[in-house]
Amino acid sequence: MSSKTLSAPHPLKTLLRLPFTALVAVLGFVNRLRANRAGFIGFLGLLAYFIMTFIMPHFIPFDSEVNLDEIAGPVGSRIQLAVHRDNAALRSFEDLAGKTVGVVDQTGGPSLIAPYADSITIEKYRWTSRRAGPGIRAALVDLANQEIDAMLIFSKTVEEVRADSSDPELQALFAEHVVISNSELGPPHLLGTDTQGRGIATHIVHGGRILILTAVIGGVISTLIALVVGSLSAMIGGAFDAAMTALSNLILAVPRLILLVVLAGLIRFENTLFLGLMIGLLGWPPLMRAIRAQVLSLRERDFVEAARSLGLSTYHIMFREMLPNMISYVMINFIFAITFAMYEQIALLVLGLAPIDDYTWGVMLYFGRSRGTLYNVDGASMALSPVLAIAFFQVCLVLFARALEEIFDPRLRAAV
Amino acid sequence: MTSRNADAQLDSSDVSGVAGALSTLLVKYPLHKNYYLRVFAQAILTIWAVLTVTFFLVRQMPGNPIDVLIEQILTQEGISYQEAYDRVASSFNFDPDASLFDQYLDYIGDLLRLDMGTSITSPGTRIIDEIARFLPWTLFAVGSGFLISFVLGIILGMSMAYYRDSALDHAMSLISSFFTGVPNYIWGLLIIIGPGISWNWFDVGAARGTYDPGLTPGLNAAFIGSAIEHALLPIITYVLATLGSWMLSMKSSTTGVLNDDYVNVAEARGLKDRRIITAYVGRNAMLPLFAQLSISIGFVLGSGVVIEEIFVYWGFGHYLFQAITVRDYTSVQGAVLILSSTFVFSNLFADLTYGLLDPRVRITGEK
Repeated sequence: MSSKTLSAPHPLKTLLRLPFTALVAVLGFVNRLRANRAGFIGFLGLLAYFIMTFIMPHFIPFDSEVNLDEIAGPVGSRIQLAVHRDNAALRSFEDLAGKTVGVVDQTGGPSLIAPYADSITIEKYRWTSRRAGPGIRAALVDLANQEIDAMLIFSKTVEEVRADSSDPELQALFAEHVVISNSELGPPHLLGTDTQGRGIATHIVHGGRILILTAVIGGVISTLIALVVGSLSAMIGGAFDAAMTALSNLILAVPRLILLVVLAGLIRFENTLFLGLMIGLLGWPPLMRAIRAQVLSLRERDFVEAARSLGLSTYHIMFREMLPNMISYVMINFIFAITFAMYEQIALLVLGLAPIDDYTWGVMLYFGRSRGTLYNVDGASMALSPVLAIAFFQVCLVLFARALEEIFDPRLRAAV
Repeated sequence: MTSRNADAQLDSSDVSGVAGALSTLLVKYPLHKNYYLRVFAQAILTIWAVLTVTFFLVRQMPGNPIDVLIEQILTQEGISYQEAYDRVASSFNFDPDASLFDQYLDYIGDLLRLDMGTSITSPGTRIIDEIARFLPWTLFAVGSGFLISFVLGIILGMSMAYYRDSALDHAMSLISSFFTGVPNYIWGLLIIIGPGISWNWFDVGAARGTYDPGLTPGLNAAFIGSAIEHALLPIITYVLATLGSWMLSMKSSTTGVLNDDYVNVAEARGLKDRRIITAYVGRNAMLPLFAQLSISIGFVLGSGVVIEEIFVYWGFGHYLFQAITVRDYTSVQGAVLILSSTFVFSNLFADLTYGLLDPRVRITGEK
């Protein structure tokens, strides 16, 4: 009761002032953050991620159109018609009638040429995972020697083979005989295409939202449970404390990822957000222990003692006296909880144990690995793009959390 | 000695039954007040709880190995369901008709006789042999990765503390945030995509497995060289993923120690800088990191599943993941048992030995 009489302003007044107070607080916070350069970079990065994953999807449509002529295209590449210098007049599929055309397996070539199979003789070359590998090199050698008349191939791949200086003789041969007669068979893509010829850049823009939301849900749940259980354990003590400590020990004793792997098999995670819930339910023990220890030590401090002797309620002591002292610690750990939730979620996705209905960065990674584009220079973008997206997001979170740590803890600021 | 005493106690006591005997025993020998015994009993209890939960949890997973095998035999040989069922039941080393609870009692009974049982999906393979086959590789990779990153982290962290607020410190803070931020399997994928595929420094395919085929395991140079070669990628990944946190812990710990009086005294006594760094600052600053070491070993052993799947390194994580995918209940149980006992006992070991390493804790710990 006494706490209410202390807080004088009219509720409506407080409500009206709230946006201004919030704005001032945010601006002040950003200003303090600017002093910590790494933290500021992290903050800007998170802002950029927010814009990319939550705002940009409204303007950039998800590329779900399967384009078989651009399969696993290298970054910025497109399929081209490479011909012998003498055949430079060959520019379209109609011109190729009766000719022998080389295509490389596992690229868009075979599917692009398939409709013309009646009139064109098709020569297939084996795909080799290394750029400028023997398969593609052999194809270009055949082309230079006029054993085939033309070839459908990625522009970047031709450039690579041509620029390969390990064999000057071949280089001279290619320079002399191989030309590109048509470079407009397919549009270039910012980050290349996946195994179905869909633009990876749009997938990156669309693939972050659910992943981040799930991680935040996991982080919120585990932090909330840790906060409630930890402080209750410390305040109540006794059997409840013992039971909760034993439970947290039990959960900690099995590596979390393994538990999730088993649970993922047990409960078919129907949607990704449910996965976040599960991660949150398993993630609280370490933070709960830390909060329990903090509450135990705060309880003995003088100001809590004073509040208690003033006869203030337990509610008041917990939320007005103790919580403000822990809130910065909890917030920093909330951010770390998000990184852990993200870590576990993507690990499950990479192992193929989580639902792949939503096309997130994790699912892109899963397909990139299971379809082998990870081991293929031209297709590496399918795995590399989500890898970098995830890596930079996590780094931004960690930088931001470290900056918060320094801002909230003046001791650390002085020492560092 | 103890048992004879206990018998004597039993004879002379007028309390009947086991409970009575136990209480008289505890009065005579107050074992429950012994700190070490209590902590040990707690550890055993935790492991028991883990294996109980695992036992019932894995059996709830959708799809079970028996149905899969029965289905196989039915389609291949066209015999009756009962015949197929009988054959499967006899080839497996447990009775699928027995109630779950009886199976559980059997399992616990076997475990008490130190028998982890045999695999369900490949009958006749003893789980302990399988674990002995796979675990050393993971221990080798994780262990060397940890050792390297621990040593590197201590050196780098100390230099960060010594040159704090310099350009070196800021650059290394940024780098360490980068190292901790990027998940360990992402490091693995980056290693494959970057040096492995794009720059062609090594052959990713050849680096799979644990050693080159055709070599005989043993203490010969070819085998050891090959084993190191194959473990190199996981080791580098573990180093990269754990280095950042060691650096930061060591930095903050060293910064704290540098302000301590005994360091000032050592300086005042005119000791050489090198001696102060190694014998005074380094040894004391390292102490809190030992407690972290045991905790993170459990974490890394667990996350080894993803790393080993990515590099196709045939270690313990690979074994566990395979067991989970084919629903080999007993193998999963065995693997989880090993993992959680490693975690529980390494924590216990850290708790018990920390007092030996740092006498200050021992003095304040005794009440």
